[in-house]
Amino acid sequence: MSDKNWEPKIVAFVCNWCTYTGADLAGTSRLKYPTNVKLIRVMCSGGIDPVFILKAFERGADGILVSGCHPNDCHYNAGNFHARRRWTFFDELLEYLGVEKGRLQFSWVSASEGKKFVDVVSKVVNDVKEMGPFKSYDELNSEFMTKFPDMPEIDKNMIIKEEEAV
Amino acid sequence: MKIGVFICHCGENIGRTVDCPRVSKACQWLPGVEVSLDYKYMCSDPGQNMIKDEIRKKKLDAIVVGSCSPHMHEKTFRKAAVDAGINPFLVEIANLREHCSWVHDDIDAATDKAIDLVRMAVEKVKRNQPLTTIEVPVTKRTLVIGGGIAGIQAALDVANAGYEVVLVEKEPSIGGHMSQLSETFPTLDCSQCILTPRMVEVYQHPKIKLMTYSEVEKVEGFIGNFTVTIRKKARHIDESKCTGCGLCTTKCPVKKKAFNSFEENLAYRPAVYVPFPQAVPNIPVIDETVCTYYKTGKCQMCVKVCGREAISFDQQDTLVTEEIGAIIVATGYKLYNIEKKPEGSMIKGYGEYGYGKYKDVVDGLQFERIASASGPTSGEFKRPSDGKEPKKIVFIQCVGSRDDSKGFSYCSKICCMYTAKHAMLYKHKVHDGEAYVFYMDIRSGGKMYEEFVRRAIEEDGVKYIRGRVSKITEKNGKYIVKGEDTLASMPIEIDADMVVLATAMIAQTEASELAQTIGIPYDKYGFYNEAHPKLRPIESTTGGVFLAGACQSPKDIPESVAMASAAAAKAMVLFGSDKLEREPVVAKVNELFCAGCFLCKKVCPYGAVEVKEMKDRNGVVYKEIAYVNEGLCQGCGTCTASCPSKSIELAGFNNEEVFAQIAAL
Amino acid sequence: MEELKKLAKELLENKTVAAVIGYQQVDDKRTKPIIVTTPEDASKLVFNEYCLNNLAVYLTKARIKNLAKQNGTTLKLGIVAKPCDIHAIVALIQESQLKREDVYIIGMNCHGVVKDYGMDFSGETLATKCTPCDSHKPLYSDSNLGEVKDTPKVSDEVLEKIQAVEKMSHKERFEYFKKEFDKCIKCYACRAACPLCYCQRCITDKTVPRWVESSPHSRGNFSWNVVRAFHLSGRCIGCGECERACPMDIPLSLLNRRMTETAKQAFAYVSGRSLDTPTLVGSYDVKDSDELFM
Ligand SMILES: Cc1cc2nc3c(=O)[nH]c(=O)nc-3n(C[C@H](O)[C@H](O)[C@H](O)COP(=O)(O)OP(=O)(O)OC[C@H]3O[C@@H](n4cnc5c(N)ncnc54)[C@H](O)[C@@H]3O)c2cc1C
Ligand code: SF4
Ligand code: SF4
Ligand code: SF4
Ligand code: SF4
Ligand code: SF4
Repeated sequence: MSDKNWEPKIVAFVCNWCTYTGADLAGTSRLKYPTNVKLIRVMCSGGIDPVFILKAFERGADGILVSGCHPNDCHYNAGNFHARRRWTFFDELLEYLGVEKGRLQFSWVSASEGKKFVDVVSKVVNDVKEMGPFKSYDELNSEFMTKFPDMPEIDKNMIIKEEEAV
Repeated sequence: MKIGVFICHCGENIGRTVDCPRVSKACQWLPGVEVSLDYKYMCSDPGQNMIKDEIRKKKLDAIVVGSCSPHMHEKTFRKAAVDAGINPFLVEIANLREHCSWVHDDIDAATDKAIDLVRMAVEKVKRNQPLTTIEVPVTKRTLVIGGGIAGIQAALDVANAGYEVVLVEKEPSIGGHMSQLSETFPTLDCSQCILTPRMVEVYQHPKIKLMTYSEVEKVEGFIGNFTVTIRKKARHIDESKCTGCGLCTTKCPVKKKAFNSFEENLAYRPAVYVPFPQAVPNIPVIDETVCTYYKTGKCQMCVKVCGREAISFDQQDTLVTEEIGAIIVATGYKLYNIEKKPEGSMIKGYGEYGYGKYKDVVDGLQFERIASASGPTSGEFKRPSDGKEPKKIVFIQCVGSRDDSKGFSYCSKICCMYTAKHAMLYKHKVHDGEAYVFYMDIRSGGKMYEEFVRRAIEEDGVKYIRGRVSKITEKNGKYIVKGEDTLASMPIEIDADMVVLATAMIAQTEASELAQTIGIPYDKYGFYNEAHPKLRPIESTTGGVFLAGACQSPKDIPESVAMASAAAAKAMVLFGSDKLEREPVVAKVNELFCAGCFLCKKVCPYGAVEVKEMKDRNGVVYKEIAYVNEGLCQGCGTCTASCPSKSIELAGFNNEEVFAQIAAL
Repeated sequence: MEELKKLAKELLENKTVAAVIGYQQVDDKRTKPIIVTTPEDASKLVFNEYCLNNLAVYLTKARIKNLAKQNGTTLKLGIVAKPCDIHAIVALIQESQLKREDVYIIGMNCHGVVKDYGMDFSGETLATKCTPCDSHKPLYSDSNLGEVKDTPKVSDEVLEKIQAVEKMSHKERFEYFKKEFDKCIKCYACRAACPLCYCQRCITDKTVPRWVESSPHSRGNFSWNVVRAFHLSGRCIGCGECERACPMDIPLSLLNRRMTETAKQAFAYVSGRSLDTPTLVGSYDVKDSDELFM
């Protein structure tokens, strides 16, 4: 893919009660944001494992958003407080290892903040577009692919091609 | 595994921006997908029948529905699946409406994304485990916290329906703020007269366990099954012996050491006291901080006069636990004391009004006491400084409300009404007196409310001035109130004998601590949050916890009572069945690999993780591991993300499922 | 040294402890761990600048724990511990791997150890973990032995390296660590040496689903090292055993120490210092910084 029409792949790990519902509200309010972002719903921001981030990078994500309920608003009272500590470490660790800050971003978006959700995802998409493809991780990934060519990777383009053939 | 994919057009809602036929065709080729169809309205009866038929015909094991948010129709499709014989947890929803068609314009890009979303859902559903809903029993007892009018009403309603109630009030008597009011708008009927019978009814009700001078210390458990620990503070009076004769209170030598808080500090009370004559229960408490006996070890005057030997100096606080199914929080409000800047807040306060400095600058509740026939002046209008009858009173509205810079930005809602009431009560007694009201706007929405304010202005001649007061100074026993009449655009100065400030209604001092104890959210002011501002104003977001009265936001009496009855009804809905169904999204420990570090136990917000001893054949404990109490686990998954060795998993959202979604990105 | 031998002998004789985990001289500039179970063997125990191992790692091993079980009762395990080793013991107690009453801590006053066996002890050869060390007197010990001497003052090498890394661009940093991690052969010696990697089954050994790719290629190596460093964040007590164990000389302390600094700066927490404070990981403060979140 040429860099010109490169579109970043963005994943958002969101909690069920606040951010997912906030994203629902963005929809109900017909607000618009780029198609790049896909949400993975978990029950609570406290349940998002940092390894999910690594896995997503391994699967070619260029940017990641982690989002939950605002402090004191957690549906489970304290899940997000534990998450906050966890991410403080993980964010510093990744940055120290050379992952630019904007690749992994964090937010609190409540169920009533449809607009904020749109602002946050748009910012992540823009930041990542500015940074370009996540080359550093791509190198790790492609080395993996050359070493282990037989590993099954789901290729969406392949599926579409087959569909066109019908 | 055979999976069925069903793509809904949602009329035009999805179909307009997502090419649904293309999505369903593309998904046909996904590994594991047996059938992929699209239809105009999947949630409609024909749509659901189509799903059911396909499940039966193609013997599907799991389905993915590409439709609106799972928060809308997940239940519908789960039910359809169950009807056709598959486990409800083998249903996944791809959110093609809220998260796709409604938020994107480009048809191609939106369609591509829709395919991705369905693919992610397909990959997840492949890993889903069939689960069975968990049934938990319901304890049909209600805890009401706060014995103001809201708490009283809620307790009576629930109890009259035949369910037991535990009513916890932190003060020595129930009644709340309503017991302090003189007469009430918009009818001007005497507050005590309508309240006291209700208080007595609570006291005598066989289904109500009344615990005054008590506080909720700990709340464990979950909807239908709370265990609540209540601290019963030491009254130093044996409740079973005291007859409420009150001899001790009259003989106590401590006269001027403690302010009477019921009288809003306009009078003193002895060390052993009943807050007010109609108190329920009519049993005194001894205030250790001022009692001579606790200071010097001598006195015991009360002991000498009490014929029932009810005084018990060495009584201690006791902890009581109660099994509870539903909790109604009705802890009310307090007034913004502008003398003291609330700690830790950005509020600046109103030093320029001289509250706390000038004795005749009082707040609304103090004025209620002055106006009350049972108050410190027996209902005569006498100003606190010299006991003279004030001939000119200035009332200032919105002190601390609707004021971003010095107070709170919200409207306290009731001050317009009670200020009109105050001015009216004054004019009714002091016919030659003058009453001025400084206001920003008059907000008198409510049945007979506007009429009430008009009556104050038109019949009783209360003078309303639109504008704010900038400063109050004292001069020869008069209070010079400087302000501006914004309608006339001119400065105004009134030499008043007394000033009454309608200060903001704010959250109780320890509102946020209590919220944390119970586990309910609150707003930045400390008022408790309802689950939905329009459709669920009574429920908190925590299952089984309901809100009533001014603890949720400023309210007058009729609103508080209405909310209380609604909360009671909500509790009774819960009691309508013997068992509650719960989603089986709970954590489970892998006993083989758990290292017993108990990080999961430390992070679990519900104390759901317990210690389990693993014993060998001889019954000797060889290791301690984590164990999740299914009843308590609420399924947040915080434990799973914390466990370093991944020895604990959340059913319904297990890591394999998440990984599958990531892999399908 | 004599007092150590004497104490160990007594403890074993009067059955206070079932065994003493300590050090034994191999040659004049090398020691190795020894588990002394008889009063006679107590004389083999030594303590000096060559006692590099953090023996706390043995306390969680089932086979050692079983030594304590004698005739139906459980005796204590004695351990010869440097002040920094005690931090690991404290962390283990906090993490429920150990009960305070199950160990007898023979705390040794310490003025530093050498980087590696065979070196003469001096400022230059002082182990890097010892330069920033501020606890030369053992905490929580049941007996406190050994001479008190000054630790040579030298600059904090690891911190300087961290600062150098932080001066690099993101790309350079990624390259640097990728190169280092690429050396990893997934032997898991780091994990085996770490007193706090006591998991029954490490995350990297979990296969369904596969959390960390176990084959040694850049991607798997990267995630293994990130995950290990993250799991020890806020917990690592800085004994440096992982780095010392690594046969490929991967500078693991650059990661551990960096995270230790985060714990210190963001949460004012140092692991393994106090039995009375809740562990950093597993607790929270409503007032924790919220800067990271939009
Ligand atoms: C000056 C003034 C005049 C007013 N006049 C009128 C009027 O004329 N007409 C009208 O309709 N309304 C009037 N109001 C409003 C009225 O006071 C309230 O609407 C009403 O009191 C709200 O009732 P509540 O039960 O929600 O709260 P409250 O009356 O505040 O009762 C709350 C109770 O909960 C208790 N409590 C608090 N925290 C705890 C805890 N942690 N544990 C246990 N117990 C706790 C308190 O001690 C109190 O007894 C007036 C208000 C003011 C300030
Ligand atoms: S966090 Fe994991 S290893 Fe630790 S006790 Fe819980 S389940 Fe066991
Ligand atoms: S998922 Fe884990 S942390 Fe959450 S409530 Fe259940 S046991 Fe507690
Ligand atoms: S990570 Fe390394 S330095 Fe930290 S405690 Fe474990 S072995 Fe010691
Ligand atoms: S790396 Fe993590 S999972 Fe593995 S042993 Fe260490 S702490 Fe446990
Ligand atoms: S000891 Fe070194 S080589 Fe071995 S697994 Fe750890 S980092 Fe890799």
